[in-house]
Amino acid sequence: MKQENESETIHFALKAAEKHGAGAVRITYNKTKHSSYTFRNDKLDRLQQATGSSLFLQLYVNGRYGTFSTNRMERTELERFIAKSIETTKLLTEDKHRSLPDTSLCYKGGGTDLKQCDPEFSEIPSEKKIEIARMCNAEILGKDKRLLNVNSEYGDYEDHTLIVDSQGFSGTTNQTNYTVSTECSVKGKGDSRPEGWWYESSLFFNDLKTGGCGEKALERAINKLGTRKIKSGKYNMVVENTISSRLVSPIINALNGANIQQNNSFLNGKLGERVFSPLMEIYDEAHLPGEFGSRLFDSEGIATKPGPIIDQGVISTYFMNSYYSKKTGIPVTVESPSLPVCSISGQRGVSNENKLEHILRNTGKGIFVTGFNGGNTNSSTGDFSFGIEGFYFEDGSILYPVSEMNVTGNIISLWNSVRDIGNDARKASRWLIPTLSFNSVDFNGF
Amino acid sequence: MTSIQRSLHLFGVTTEELKILTDTALSKGGEYSDLFFEHSTVDELTLRDGEVNGAGSHIDYGMGVRVISGDQTGYAYTEITTMNEMTNAAKAASIIALGNKKRIPVTDITPMDFKNHYPILKSWEDSDVTSRAPFIKALNDKIFSLDHRVNKVIAKLTNSTTSILFFNSLGTLCSDERPMATLSVTVIMQDGSRVENGSSSRSYRMGSEFLTENLIDEIAQEAVNRTAILFDAGVPEGGEMSVVMGAGGSGILLHEAIGHAFEADFNRQNVSIFSDKLGKKICSSEISVVDDGTVQGNRGAVNFDDEGVAGQKTYMVTDGYLTSYLHDRISASYYKTASTGNGRRESFRYMPLPRMRATYMINGKSKEADIISSVKKGIFVDNFSNGQVQIGAGDFTFFVKSGYMIESGKLTKPIKDINIIGNGPKALADIVAVADNSYIDNGSWTCGKEQYCPVSCGMPSVLINKLTVGGLQQ
Repeated sequence: MKQENESETIHFALKAAEKHGAGAVRITYNKTKHSSYTFRNDKLDRLQQATGSSLFLQLYVNGRYGTFSTNRMERTELERFIAKSIETTKLLTEDKHRSLPDTSLCYKGGGTDLKQCDPEFSEIPSEKKIEIARMCNAEILGKDKRLLNVNSEYGDYEDHTLIVDSQGFSGTTNQTNYTVSTECSVKGKGDSRPEGWWYESSLFFNDLKTGGCGEKALERAINKLGTRKIKSGKYNMVVENTISSRLVSPIINALNGANIQQNNSFLNGKLGERVFSPLMEIYDEAHLPGEFGSRLFDSEGIATKPGPIIDQGVISTYFMNSYYSKKTGIPVTVESPSLPVCSISGQRGVSNENKLEHILRNTGKGIFVTGFNGGNTNSSTGDFSFGIEGFYFEDGSILYPVSEMNVTGNIISLWNSVRDIGNDARKASRWLIPTLSFNSVDFNGF
Repeated sequence: MTSIQRSLHLFGVTTEELKILTDTALSKGGEYSDLFFEHSTVDELTLRDGEVNGAGSHIDYGMGVRVISGDQTGYAYTEITTMNEMTNAAKAASIIALGNKKRIPVTDITPMDFKNHYPILKSWEDSDVTSRAPFIKALNDKIFSLDHRVNKVIAKLTNSTTSILFFNSLGTLCSDERPMATLSVTVIMQDGSRVENGSSSRSYRMGSEFLTENLIDEIAQEAVNRTAILFDAGVPEGGEMSVVMGAGGSGILLHEAIGHAFEADFNRQNVSIFSDKLGKKICSSEISVVDDGTVQGNRGAVNFDDEGVAGQKTYMVTDGYLTSYLHDRISASYYKTASTGNGRRESFRYMPLPRMRATYMINGKSKEADIISSVKKGIFVDNFSNGQVQIGAGDFTFFVKSGYMIESGKLTKPIKDINIIGNGPKALADIVAVADNSYIDNGSWTCGKEQYCPVSCGMPSVLINKLTVGGLQQ
């Protein structure tokens, strides 16, 4: 999906920036194309189609820095916009830490094909897309009297990004994505209408699992019937692989260079220290072909590489872009993880049967969390509190659904009480976080 | 030149072309079509580490075409407003109506004027973005002067102007200039080895008259107070208890617990827990709840919504009865009623949906002090960060940044970082006292239902008999 005059536009913008006084500039050109088709019950409810493009400029002018964007590419207007942007930047306070990155750290090309783009993207007829959404609904329509409503959506997008900077870096990424999802509601007790959902996603159309979303969504909705709130107390907690990334994201945020430099991270000053259970490993599989998130360079052009984030509970890296690296004196890494994979230390990539059923059995009894409902984490302290829904289980067997409860604690304490990490991360996600199990967590009910 | 003429000029279209595009959109048999043109400019200024060292300007431009056939919707947008590109978008959206034999003609154009709920006294365009740097620097200095434990301040000033041109197949032609100004600050404070963070923001549909010394004082004091209290606060013991929700930001309860469930798209699809409750008593007669697009300068105000319907004040709950859902054109047609002017969208890239505006509860008769003193054991909360709801099950949550324990009718130990969860209909029915101190919180509330939309919320202090409060178990 290349725009014919894309490189001309970028070249023009680079020249215009230099002409009007920018000492250095990075330009990110992005073009996307997407479509979506939603079936509600037995008829097409919504269709959406669009293409879009934008130009994002990072300007370095006399030691000052500004970010600007526009989707208006007409030459005269673009040059006026750039000239005004540079004038604005000139009036800021000088920030000596702002500059383009060290070129020796930048991606130089020649990397392996990470298989992120489906060449057949434009060949898939809309009739086929509509049929996929329709079939998801057809799986369950008329199959259960309690079913009130079902929506299934097929969606796809193609993303093309070109980054160019004034010190010679140039990098292109192309990515496609296909998703099919179903959401349904069933009649519950009283006025309640529990919802169930499921989705599948892939980078290549032929890898998209198009069947089963409807059945899975209905099964998940029906399983919520008869939900109850149970007594407050400490319970073992198993977290489903569909939502387990919620317990990893506070850690990734806390490793972010901006939060470290701003003293707003509960992991500040912990680099190289064992903070979490030795059982825990998070590894950045930046170059795994055919997986969401794999990439050869970040948005500054800095080359990515696979490496540990948390190794046997020890903090192995912060995510430092060139700006926060200069401000903190900590070496540049990358701005964010590409494809974090969570596993038992030393077990990454090892094939075994450590999946949900096995983990529930080994955990004995507790609460199996299948949904987080709101909540937040204090970025300075790691204290968290989330609403939950799920199931109470004993001897590895699910007994009844629970809801309208909270789980509360601290991220560091929680990950020191991890008892098991599964081997069943969903491939449909950008972060590969499997089923997780924790000992004695505070749940709040009646 | 009228404002509509200026808009036509900005987007480079004529009224005749608008009619041709709408006709193309309806060519496959759609019953209704609209065109939504948008040009937005956003300026932002950031302070970090004591210096105003970040600035940005962002332009977004394009138009969307929507076609409705029954309750089905076709939507397409383009960022290039040549007739060729817009015709392609109209054709793409028209496909939703394939097979529908009806052909509705486009009605003659009726230019519409709406009451202006956000008059601009001082245009943002009259000053350069960086001329506002001293203002944001003064905010930083004020915050540092208030408490020696202040360690870092991150402040951001954002202002935007969005020009809208709207036309539909009913002939409605209108234009709008929508300003938005937001000042937000995050404060990091350190006391020994302990670090806490707090934040504050204000957001209005205003011109640069937004920038006042009072605003600096108000935000600085609030941010510091909200952070300082956390050093004395702890996580309480969790479980079910009485909750007094303080006036203002507690309106998040209305937004999450009932507001979304009253949005008529969910009810039309029979998936909301309130789907069968229209006209029925759902809570105490002391409670009336409004969703209002007419509050002057409010973040949720709309002169007209994104379907060309006038901004208005909608009573959702009147004296305890559910009196109205929040409608866009599709749901209004389904319920055979008039739209309430709640059809809103994030930008031309999105089709409109029923969305809230400024949602607030009308004053009751109780005094906040009496409400607190009536509680033997519970919590008082008035500082929140985010919320969520499950429409069908009715379970809603909101995250409490800080509050207080209530013991024997008195506010005692500060508390922090807890989630509160409840069930919408139950919580509403459990409101047993409503105070007389309602006001709208003018923070930068943003609703995330499929797409982002600026909203606001307000409340008087209320007592809810029982909610589930997050906390640690003894």
